[in-house]
Amino acid sequence: MAEIKVEHLHKEFGIGEDRVVALEDVSLGVQGHVFVSIVGPSGCGKSTLLNILSGIETPSSGTVTITQDNHEAEPGYVFQAARLLPWRTVMDNLLFVQKDRSDETRARCQKYLEMVQLGDKGDKYPGELSGGMQQRVGIARAFSIEPDVLFMDEPFSHLDAITARSLRRELHEMWKLTRKTVLFVTHDVGEAVELSNRILVFAKGGRLEDDLQVDLPFPRDPSDEEVAIAKAQVLKKFEELDLVAT
Amino acid sequence: MTTLVTKAPTRDQGPMRVLKSPATARILFPIVVLAIWYIVYFTIDSRIFPSPQRVLVFMWEEVTLTSGVRYSSVAENLYVQFAISLVRLTIGFVAAMIVGTIVGLAMGISKAADAFFHDWVMGVLAMPALVFALFLGLALGHGHLAPIIAVFAAGAPFVIINVREGVRNTPKELFDMARSFDVPQNKITRHVLIPSLMPFFFAAIRYAYAIGWKGLVITEVFASDRGMGWTIKFWYDANRAHGVIGYALFFIIFALALEKLVFDPLSARAFKWRPKIDAVQMVEGDFGAAPSESFLQQEGQVQEQVSIESTEG
Repeated sequence: MAEIKVEHLHKEFGIGEDRVVALEDVSLGVQGHVFVSIVGPSGCGKSTLLNILSGIETPSSGTVTITQDNHEAEPGYVFQAARLLPWRTVMDNLLFVQKDRSDETRARCQKYLEMVQLGDKGDKYPGELSGGMQQRVGIARAFSIEPDVLFMDEPFSHLDAITARSLRRELHEMWKLTRKTVLFVTHDVGEAVELSNRILVFAKGGRLEDDLQVDLPFPRDPSDEEVAIAKAQVLKKFEELDLVAT
Repeated sequence: MTTLVTKAPTRDQGPMRVLKSPATARILFPIVVLAIWYIVYFTIDSRIFPSPQRVLVFMWEEVTLTSGVRYSSVAENLYVQFAISLVRLTIGFVAAMIVGTIVGLAMGISKAADAFFHDWVMGVLAMPALVFALFLGLALGHGHLAPIIAVFAAGAPFVIINVREGVRNTPKELFDMARSFDVPQNKITRHVLIPSLMPFFFAAIRYAYAIGWKGLVITEVFASDRGMGWTIKFWYDANRAHGVIGYALFFIIFALALEKLVFDPLSARAFKWRPKIDAVQMVEGDFGAAPSESFLQQEGQVQEQVSIESTEG
C-alpha cells in the first residue's frame, strides 16, 4: 500500500526582499487507494508541493517520504501541459520513461494507449495530435510505468470543457482499475468534487487550511444534486477562508 | 437588420494557380536573371561585359577541359582548383563545427565561459573577411594553412552563437519531465538535449558553410597560388569578365547542389516530426491569399481531429 507522509514542509524562493514563501509548515498524510485533490487559488503552492513530492524541486526544510509497502515508491507525473517530446512518436514518448524497450514493455505501453483510446496513434508525432489527445498520451505515459503513486498537476486546465469532462471520466475509470494513490492539483472545485475522496484546501502563502472528506458514491455526475451540493459546500468553505478569486 | 455573411475563401483556378505556385516561382527566377542580364548586356554596350552564351561556352570549355588554358603546374584545371578549395573548405569547416560546438556548449552552460568568450567571438564575427585574408597572407604565406584558418575564423563564430542559443533555448519543462520519471542522464542527453539543439545545429552548419566559402575565396585571392579564389583572380588579372562570372556560377551551382542533395534531405530526416504547414503558407493565409492544396489538406486533418474529439465527449 502506498503512503505519502509530508512533515513540516517549508519552501521559499529568492532571498532578502525578493523572498517568496511558497509552502509554510505543511504536514499531511495520504494512504492507500485514494484520490486526493489539492485545491486553492493561484500561487498557493499547489504545484510546488507536487514538484517537491516528485523530486523536481527540493524543500527548504521539512521531510517528504513516499513508500510502497515500506519500500521507496515509484511516482508517475501528469503535467499541466502534456510535455511530450515533439521529435519522438507517441509510442517512443512512452518508451522514453521506461527502464527497457522489451516486447513486454511495449505491450504494456500499448495497453495504456488503448486505455486512453489512442491505441492506433502510436506511430504519430505529438504535433499531429490535438491538445486533448496529447494530454491523453501524457496520462498514458504516467500510467505506463505502473507507478505506486500518481501526481497530476492541473492536467485538464488547458482543455476545452467537453474534452476535459471526457478525460475526467477516463481518468476515473483508470484510477478505479489500477487502484493507484493519486494526488491531483486543480483550481476547479467542481473537478475536485467530481473525482476525489478527499480535498486538501490550500491558501495563499502556502498554508494547508482544511482537509475535507467527500463521501459520495462514484461515478459522480456534475449535474447530480448531491454533487452540486457538495461543490457548493466546498465553495462555501472557500468563502469562509476568503479563497475565492475575485 | 444586418446579416453577416462569411464566405469560404475562393481558391485560384487554372493559369493563376500555376503562376502562383512555388514551383513556377523557382523556374521563373533564373529566367528573370537571364532577362536582366541580356538587358544590361545590350544596354551598356561594353566589350568587357560578357553575354550569357559567352559565359556558358567558357564554363563548358572549363568542364570539358577544352579551353586550352593551363593555370599552373600544380593546379592546371577547374577540377584540381576546385578539389584544392574543397579540401581546404572541408578541413576548416569541420574544425569550425567541432571547436564552435564545444565553445558554444560551454558558453550556453556556464556564465563564466560565456563572459570569457563573448567579446572575442563578437570581435571575430565583426572582423571583415578581407582583414583575415590580408593578415593570414602576410603571416603564413601562400600555403594551405591561411585559407583553412580563414574558413575556420569565418565559420566558427556562427557555430558558437547558434549552439549557445540552442543550449539557452533547451526546453526546461522537458528536462523536468524526464527527471520526474527518473530517466538516466545519458538518455536525457540523447532524447532531449541533442534533438532540441538540432534546429540550431542545422542553422550553424548552413551559416558556417556559406560564410566559410566566402572567407576561403577571398583568402585565396590574396594569399594563395591555387584554388577557386585564385582562379577568379587569374581571370580578373586577364581582364576576362566571363572567367570571373563563370567561376562564380560554378560556386552557385555547387552550393545549390549541396543544398538540394545533402542539406535538404538531412534536414527533412531530422525534422520529419514537424507539422507540415510551412510558414510561407501561413503568412499567405494571414494576408488573405487562398490557401494552397497542402494547407487545405492539413486543415482537413485538423478538422478530422476536432470531430474525433467532439464525438468522444
